[in-house]
Amino acid sequence: MGERPVDRDTVSEIQEFMFREALALDERRFRDWLAMLTDDIRYEAPLRVIREGLAVWDLSPTSRIFDDDRQTLEVRIQRLETDFAWAEQPPSQTRHFVTNVLVDPGDNPDEYKVHSNCFIYRSRGTSPTPSLYSLSRKDVVRRTEDGWRLARRWAAFDQALINAHNLSILI
Amino acid sequence: MNTKPESQSLAAWVEETREGIDSGRFPARAFNDQAVYDLEQERLFSKTWCFLAHESEIPHPGDYVTRYIGNNNLIVARDEHGEIHASLNMCRHRGNVMCKAEMGNASHFRCSYHGWTYKNSGELVGVPYMKEGYEGRLKRKDWGLVRVRVDSYEGLVFGCLDPEAPPLDEYLGGFQFYLDLYLKHGLGGVEVHGPPDHWIADTDWKICTENFAGDGYHTPVAHQWGFHLGYFPSSGSTHSQGWAVSIPGKGHGIGLGHGPNFPPFGGFPDDLVAEMKQSLSPEQVAVFSRTRTAVGSVFPNLSFLMQPFSLEPGEIGVRFVTMRLYHPVGPGRMEMYSWCLVPKNASQEYKKEAYRAYTLAFGQAGTFEQDDFENWTKVTQAAGMTMVRDVDFPYIMGMDSAPDPEFPGPGHAVVPYVNDTNFRNLWSRWADYLAGEA
Repeated sequence: MGERPVDRDTVSEIQEFMFREALALDERRFRDWLAMLTDDIRYEAPLRVIREGLAVWDLSPTSRIFDDDRQTLEVRIQRLETDFAWAEQPPSQTRHFVTNVLVDPGDNPDEYKVHSNCFIYRSRGTSPTPSLYSLSRKDVVRRTEDGWRLARRWAAFDQALINAHNLSILI
Repeated sequence: MNTKPESQSLAAWVEETREGIDSGRFPARAFNDQAVYDLEQERLFSKTWCFLAHESEIPHPGDYVTRYIGNNNLIVARDEHGEIHASLNMCRHRGNVMCKAEMGNASHFRCSYHGWTYKNSGELVGVPYMKEGYEGRLKRKDWGLVRVRVDSYEGLVFGCLDPEAPPLDEYLGGFQFYLDLYLKHGLGGVEVHGPPDHWIADTDWKICTENFAGDGYHTPVAHQWGFHLGYFPSSGSTHSQGWAVSIPGKGHGIGLGHGPNFPPFGGFPDDLVAEMKQSLSPEQVAVFSRTRTAVGSVFPNLSFLMQPFSLEPGEIGVRFVTMRLYHPVGPGRMEMYSWCLVPKNASQEYKKEAYRAYTLAFGQAGTFEQDDFENWTKVTQAAGMTMVRDVDFPYIMGMDSAPDPEFPGPGHAVVPYVNDTNFRNLWSRWADYLAGEA
């Protein structure tokens, strides 16, 4: 728990921001989504490795599935806007279920640490078998003059061997 | 179609396939069929040298990773003297899995069933109730973990299930010349940036091996977005420049793509280039200085790619290297391992940049990788259709092309880079194994 509790209004605003961010992704409004990120966004998904219980780490300190900043996320979105992003032709249908949102004070007065669980349903084309991903997210959101912005996305998959031929979606 | 034909007809199919390859045809069925998969397990993965690990994944005594050859799960461990061993991950007493983690550090493994304990090198050292139970009839030295032959080249550790197979050097058969282009990046060589991306795909492993054996043909289309947005300095039409090199009779192949006006060793820091000129032979330097993209496969299921990538369209950026292993887990199904290799002697900053280029382009969320696997799963799906059973694909590019006499490296080098020569060589070697004649 943080030293100073975060007031209910702030928690409620942040929770709504998280839900709206997920909605932008699910509705494929990628430009709207980019606008919800700070310019110094860090967007990371550490790689999970199956280790013994007492191992020092099971999320790799060096390997990342996503290791992005604003510039590389722009590249990903630009790519999706071409007619040649074959991995998303036809597009994945995604639903991000964001739950267990907990808000703690951040390192700066205008920042908050947001823990959430995220469950993603993804289906492709006529395949009857969707991909399901469960993730633990430890994000940072920042209050700006223009409203809430995501300053850090840190999302760890709850599996080491990921059951999808690619990850052409955002998490 | 996953029905199992009579072994007689399968043998006949393999023979027909071998004849077809010589005339530039290869059957779609090879990419999704239970009987073909079973034959690969029995005759190919039990005989070839298969990649296990890079030495930098297990740098210290006791470090281990678990990997596969065919469907055999192996512990690859560095013992207390620094030597690397591979053992079947199965207790010799009742067959329990010894090591349930993918990587770690342990001097010994103790079975969680009856407590037999082995050194990480595979020697049996501890047996509960040794005296009372076995009454002197059990000799510990007879019941170590099942050992697998290992050998290495420039940090790449391979294993082979066949004690009679020729040594690794002979197996690589000159392809070392090209492996060096990925591995001798400076006097310190390369190291893994971290553990590999690991995912499962409904894709046949051979499609990946073929693609990375030098499929320059797919790039302007499969990765068209990259050309469209200017991330490739060449256009679709200039992309075909370069060499396709294969090692006849061995199955290995590499595509060495040139880029118009691409500077020699472009994308590497200057101090590293100076070291590379020392670590590589003059012939290798001659090949390397013209190469923009190098994409190669070691038969059967290990590949490498070196490519420059910049976030600024038109800029050279950094060169990243990825190493990938295609582990078959069923007909038309595989596990993918994908590493990023970085030069040991490069600055942290360069390593970080190279790794970021890798994750943006390759790895499971990589923008190039995404499109490849999209295509490959569809190819695999199609190959399983009943009508496809008698359908062949054309492999007739470069059927009559003579080798380039000026080319300074070993093997059979042809131009242009867009060519099927490497693939005919790959399938021909594959069919030798399936016919039991390798």
